[in-house]
Amino acid sequence: MPQATALIDGNNFYASCEQSLDPALIGHPVVVLSNNDGCIVARSAEARALGIRMGTPYFKARRELERHNVVVRSSNYALYADMSQRMMSLLEAHCEELEVYSIDEAFGRIRRPRNGDLQGWARQLRARARQNLGLPIAIGLGASKAQAKLANRLAKQAPDHAGMFDLGQCDNPDRWLETIAIEDVWGIGRQLAHWCRLRGISNARHLRDMPSGELRAKCGVVGLRLQRELRGHACLPLELAPAPKQETCVSRSFSRPITSQEELHQAIATYVVRAAEKLRKQRQRAAALTIYTRTSPFAPGFYSQAASTQLDLPSNDTAVLLQAARPLVARIFRPHRQLAKAGVLMQHLQSHDILQTHLMVPMSEEQQQKRECLMQTIDRINRRYGRGTLQWAGCGLQPSWLMRREQLSRAATTRLQDLPVVKA
Amino acid sequence: MELQHRPLPLQPKRSRLTLPLAGERVAAGFPSPADDYVDVGIDLNEQLIRNPTSTFFLHVSGESMTDAGIHDGDLLVVDRSIDPRPGQVVVAVLDGAFTLKRLMRHRGRLRLEAAHPDYPPLELHRCGEVQIWGVAIHVIHPL
Repeated sequence: MPQATALIDGNNFYASCEQSLDPALIGHPVVVLSNNDGCIVARSAEARALGIRMGTPYFKARRELERHNVVVRSSNYALYADMSQRMMSLLEAHCEELEVYSIDEAFGRIRRPRNGDLQGWARQLRARARQNLGLPIAIGLGASKAQAKLANRLAKQAPDHAGMFDLGQCDNPDRWLETIAIEDVWGIGRQLAHWCRLRGISNARHLRDMPSGELRAKCGVVGLRLQRELRGHACLPLELAPAPKQETCVSRSFSRPITSQEELHQAIATYVVRAAEKLRKQRQRAAALTIYTRTSPFAPGFYSQAASTQLDLPSNDTAVLLQAARPLVARIFRPHRQLAKAGVLMQHLQSHDILQTHLMVPMSEEQQQKRECLMQTIDRINRRYGRGTLQWAGCGLQPSWLMRREQLSRAATTRLQDLPVVKA
Repeated sequence: MELQHRPLPLQPKRSRLTLPLAGERVAAGFPSPADDYVDVGIDLNEQLIRNPTSTFFLHVSGESMTDAGIHDGDLLVVDRSIDPRPGQVVVAVLDGAFTLKRLMRHRGRLRLEAAHPDYPPLELHRCGEVQIWGVAIHVIHPL
């Protein structure tokens, strides 16, 4: 029997993680807020049932949430990352191959049994995720990634699908494909959807059956591949090892607008320190870096500015990167602007292992090795004793602009002090 | 400034405490006859955790399980992948909180029993909705 492709994802993942480790939240409506407690980014099934909308700014929804007694949580990335790893290793054990697609979804390859029926497999996997991790998951099955993605949507669409749907084994798949609007098809952006609508292509079935030549003329081989995927030919392989990153970005909104250059210096320094850590973890060096800042897009007089610089020698040394970023701050700062966000981009990344020899290298090889050891030591201390144990002075001591996370739950699975309590 | 704490190593790969079981260091250059017997060592994570993905740690608070050797302040290792059976110590969700008791069958009915004379058993059919969250497999108790 041929292989099937599955798209498996955690329902309301962040809210489900919160419910999984806090018994007071089981069966209770919960919403999770984005960075800086901005918008609602996840809703438990109970919160959905109350009609609470995704993406609503917290300040607008606050009254309604209080009226319904909804529990509000800030994004607890430590918890979600740990639960994600657990979920992925469970999925890995149930699939022949797994591509982790995002924090809460993965593509899997499974061999179909002789009778082609994967319902039993899917039912068991859902039961395991529910019991072992307390997480509800949805499983979509098809012959290709695009089909699996559609099937996953169908799995969640109707309650009687019980969180699973198999496009390869259902009666009348055409009828199901017709229920999926063209805008909801994986890989179809807003512009392309509009172009399709003008041609009377309004759902996934229409797209699958439209003349290939027309699609190719509009969006080339990418569109053609999507259509072949919809027809059941697996064209997109699973990416088992993530490709090395070309860029690394660290950006955050401030808890309050910044108007002084010194504070912008601190913020940029903080993000450079974090980005440098990431580079070392990815075993990469940056050859260029860009910093940017902007005001709120919702306030009048929008301002945004970026500045870039090239490094003489690609680096992941925090001190070198800080030195490169510092003079750029004056170029993006404007007085009397209520700056709401800033960010740092590390660019032209190359592998750490390619030690590029350069005529103008300012340091001897021995000096470079010493610097590397210093960075490693700093990273190790911060990993062991918590981020910020060793801090760079440029980041400021107690910055008041740091991201707001007022409703943060505990790191219930990864931090000894934060473990849940069981009454005996 | 909020102090962040050391993450709790869960996966055996992340932290490995190895106590060699056999074998001795010998002078360089000579193969030791004991080398064949050197074991990889004892990893407490491996001893205490069968199933890293479904294992969680909880702090114990209260005295109701002291006769089962579980004391206030102990660290409990809970495996959620185990199907609860009578006789096992389980973490149950009762009135929105975690409760630690022994699952028992009594006159054909399931109930949660404390391991302490002062605490009466809880008949499962009398408490509204009870969910067994996980099965306790080890307790870590400082002496």
